[in-house]
Amino acid sequence: MGDLTRVTIDFERSHLVFPTIVAAVLAVLGLAIVLRDRRRIAGAGAHWRGIWRDMDRVRFLGTLALTLLYFTLMVPVGRIWPNTGLGFLVCSIPFVLATGLLFMHDRGWRQVLPVVAVAGIAPTFVWWLFTYPFFLTLP
Amino acid sequence: MLYRKTILAAIAATTALSAPLATFAQELPRNVRLVIGSTSTGGDTYQNSAIVADALAEHLGINVKVDAVGATEAFKALERDGRGTTLMIFHDQSYLGELYGRQGYDDPFETYVIGPTVAINPGNAYLASCDSPYQSMEDILQAAADGDRVRVAIQPGGVSEIGFSAMKYAASVRSPGSESNIVAVNTGSQSDKNQAMWDDLADVINGSIQANEQFTQLPADDPKCMRFVWITARPATLEAAPAEGMGDTTRDDLLQYATPNVDVTLGEDGPFTFDKEFFFLFNPDMDPAIVEQIDTALTEIFAEGSIQERQTGSFFIPNFLPSDEARAHLSEKRDTYEQVISTIADDAS
Amino acid sequence: MIEAVTTLVTPTFLLLVLGGTFTGIVFGAIPGMTATMAVAVCLPLTYSLGLENGLALLLGLYVGGISGGMVPAVLLGIPGTPSSITTTFDGYPMAQRGEGEAALRIGIVASLVGGLVSLGILWAFAPTLADFAIRFSYVEKFLIILFALTVMAALSSDMLLGIFSGVLGIFVALIGVYDISDGGNGNLRLIPPGTEYWLESGFSLLPVLIGLFGLAAVLEQAEAGVPRGHSAKDLAVGRAGGFRLRMLRGEGVNLVRSSGIGTFVGILPGVGGSAASILAYSNAKTFSKTPERFGTGAPSGIVASEAGNNGLTGGALVPLLSLGIPGDSTTALLIGAFTLQGIQVGPLFIGNNPDTWNAMIFAMIVANLAMFVMMYAAIRWFALVVTVPKHVLLPVILMMCVVGAYTINYGIMFDVWTLLIFGVAGWLFTKLRLEVAPFIIGFILGPSAEVYFVKSLESFGDLTIFFTKSWIAWVLWGLIVLSVAASASLSSRRRRPATA
Repeated sequence: MGDLTRVTIDFERSHLVFPTIVAAVLAVLGLAIVLRDRRRIAGAGAHWRGIWRDMDRVRFLGTLALTLLYFTLMVPVGRIWPNTGLGFLVCSIPFVLATGLLFMHDRGWRQVLPVVAVAGIAPTFVWWLFTYPFFLTLP
Repeated sequence: MLYRKTILAAIAATTALSAPLATFAQELPRNVRLVIGSTSTGGDTYQNSAIVADALAEHLGINVKVDAVGATEAFKALERDGRGTTLMIFHDQSYLGELYGRQGYDDPFETYVIGPTVAINPGNAYLASCDSPYQSMEDILQAAADGDRVRVAIQPGGVSEIGFSAMKYAASVRSPGSESNIVAVNTGSQSDKNQAMWDDLADVINGSIQANEQFTQLPADDPKCMRFVWITARPATLEAAPAEGMGDTTRDDLLQYATPNVDVTLGEDGPFTFDKEFFFLFNPDMDPAIVEQIDTALTEIFAEGSIQERQTGSFFIPNFLPSDEARAHLSEKRDTYEQVISTIADDAS
Repeated sequence: MIEAVTTLVTPTFLLLVLGGTFTGIVFGAIPGMTATMAVAVCLPLTYSLGLENGLALLLGLYVGGISGGMVPAVLLGIPGTPSSITTTFDGYPMAQRGEGEAALRIGIVASLVGGLVSLGILWAFAPTLADFAIRFSYVEKFLIILFALTVMAALSSDMLLGIFSGVLGIFVALIGVYDISDGGNGNLRLIPPGTEYWLESGFSLLPVLIGLFGLAAVLEQAEAGVPRGHSAKDLAVGRAGGFRLRMLRGEGVNLVRSSGIGTFVGILPGVGGSAASILAYSNAKTFSKTPERFGTGAPSGIVASEAGNNGLTGGALVPLLSLGIPGDSTTALLIGAFTLQGIQVGPLFIGNNPDTWNAMIFAMIVANLAMFVMMYAAIRWFALVVTVPKHVLLPVILMMCVVGAYTINYGIMFDVWTLLIFGVAGWLFTKLRLEVAPFIIGFILGPSAEVYFVKSLESFGDLTIFFTKSWIAWVLWGLIVLSVAASASLSSRRRRPATA
């Protein structure tokens, strides 16, 4: 028994021990899934076409695009007024407004007004809260 | 033609606009971000930085926000910003990380501008269990010379390892070859190091006066009982600590464990000492006038004297050196440690 | 104790506890903000408050922050803090059935019990338990993590895909540096070439969590065209009726056991706060007579999770006050509050500072009671969240996720991108039938599993050490086997009616 169970771990290479084991387990499990679900995997194309067909593409892709734009602009805008968190504020107001409008169904005045109000108030309040009482960094 | 004129006009306008900005850039902006090399807001780097940030903010009438983003992210943030809106405070780890070849560390003397030092944490220490056969550094080095393996728990790659490297160096001076009997047990946090001792995986652990002093006051039959074998600070640094020391250990007691009472020698270069010093790091493109402004402000703050009270209150030693002196001092310190580390590395190979 | 209470407990002290608890609840209730962050934000204030008053504020924040996390977990399916992940498993299904208020009531009661039980344990046994805790070496800690990981199997609706998701979570958690401060060697691994600059420190937990639970949920709503009406129009506020003690009938054992587990996880340094509720949940499921109801809106699940994470609060103070070693990330910050005042914490703390010690216990009692009263009174207000129209609520949730991700590590933009990456990943998961719950549990526990496994072998050099180290190891193996067997029998029971 003794020798079989002995292991020496070289500290300099110890960062690879666990990832190797986990990767091996992952590969075995992956293989088992492929074997078990091969029929379902073969039909994946249809599955994804169905998802694409059924989804609300404007709202879904719109959300992704707006989020991407929001994240991309925050830091460069913030650098104009360094360490004030204004990058967050200036980008959040249009983002909340735009996603709000995107998610709405009836875009009458009565419905839009609360969205505009929230888009103005919520980011400003959060910005104030984080900048003054909490003294935390925002972009 | 008209097009070209517009561009010229635009350039002229921008220059005119940026002119006041340029004069403005010679001092710190209204909102400064001070990043630190630690992710803990309860640790010594944060506390020291917060003390300095408060003092600077009050003295200059600006906002200084301390962000505990950790070494890797702090270096990145500093690199990105040459306008003086981001400053950094860190300690000797900033160059030790590079000397030990750690991921994410560059030579700070080349990549950044070293700024003023502000404080020392004198606490770096090595401890042995109360029931250990090694009750002093002398015992440890003698054991290594006699061929016994002495296991030392450290966190590799920096401040926690440098004393260990010095121990090996001293062993090699005393009895060449015996340094290979002093072996590292690589652990993480202080809790891991303590645990390594209690699990009998290590004979000696790296620790600190602040975190481990109470364990040295436990009755000797308590399995958690520890004793100091070495405090790495310069005796002059410890002399500057409050006379009542830490907990039930007075300053005079602490001095018993420091050089010259404990000798970890570097041969001809005399005894090894290590003080964990906190200092500023700046982006190399930052206007030198800002460095000067910080130097002046800190000179005035330390002359006024209340910052020292806050520092000693938290067991830190006030240690202000303006940028030029700090740079020379730290660079010399770095060279000494580089020699220690490279000698040990050569022996190992 | 009474003496300390009369001299140290001033109206200011009480106000600070109450204010701290209230602020903590607010922090906890906002997805992306945690108890740790609340304590970090208020730590500098304690310098001027003095030790006891400062601690009063911080302990209030701690108790409030841990408890507040259940609110979005139940109502929106987004855990407010990492320790309330397991609350979403049963709380959110209950909310979708229109029983959100009842779920909150159960959670609040369980939180109070968890908090008070752990406090009792802290007060009575702190030094003794600390001595017991240091008998847990790398080996025992690895086995505890392994035991917690077995809950992955119990949580999966499809065993194979669930375990795959969990192991994938571990794998993703290993990306980046093998952290030196955890005992690693500081080398990088599993990083795709060219991404070292961003991935050096890997992905951090909170952005991953709110990406998978928050952003992914918003994307799913967007995909479905953001159905009209309220964020859970299936949830009728107030219809569930009041809280009846009957709901907790048969939960007595579960309450006490989960509180005890939470406390114990807190006592063990380095096992991590989120493990408390995960372990309590997996235990409750293993020993339940109706394990199949877990994950579909079983009150027992909420009881286990909330008693577990509040049990942590008292437990985590045990090693802090009797060894000077923090039991979780929040108590690590409390050390700062002591050192700011020049007070050492270590094995002599309680003996040297009996007044401070008593004041802390008292502050914790008040904070727990205040948490109970405040949250109970606010249930109706909390529930109003779900009456906000979705097109207003979802954008604000997105914005709060960004704020949380950006501020959790004091301003790192990559954390915000992590949020997006895992938001999309979470959406893809549901399409691929991978499971988010085991994934996040693997992600949370992965790094500790690695360190304790590798360090066990590094220190002892023999695989048999996992069996021979101590009797504690044997007990843990017993629990692991029991938990695996329970999941296996549940899985086969679940399959049988389908195939028959």
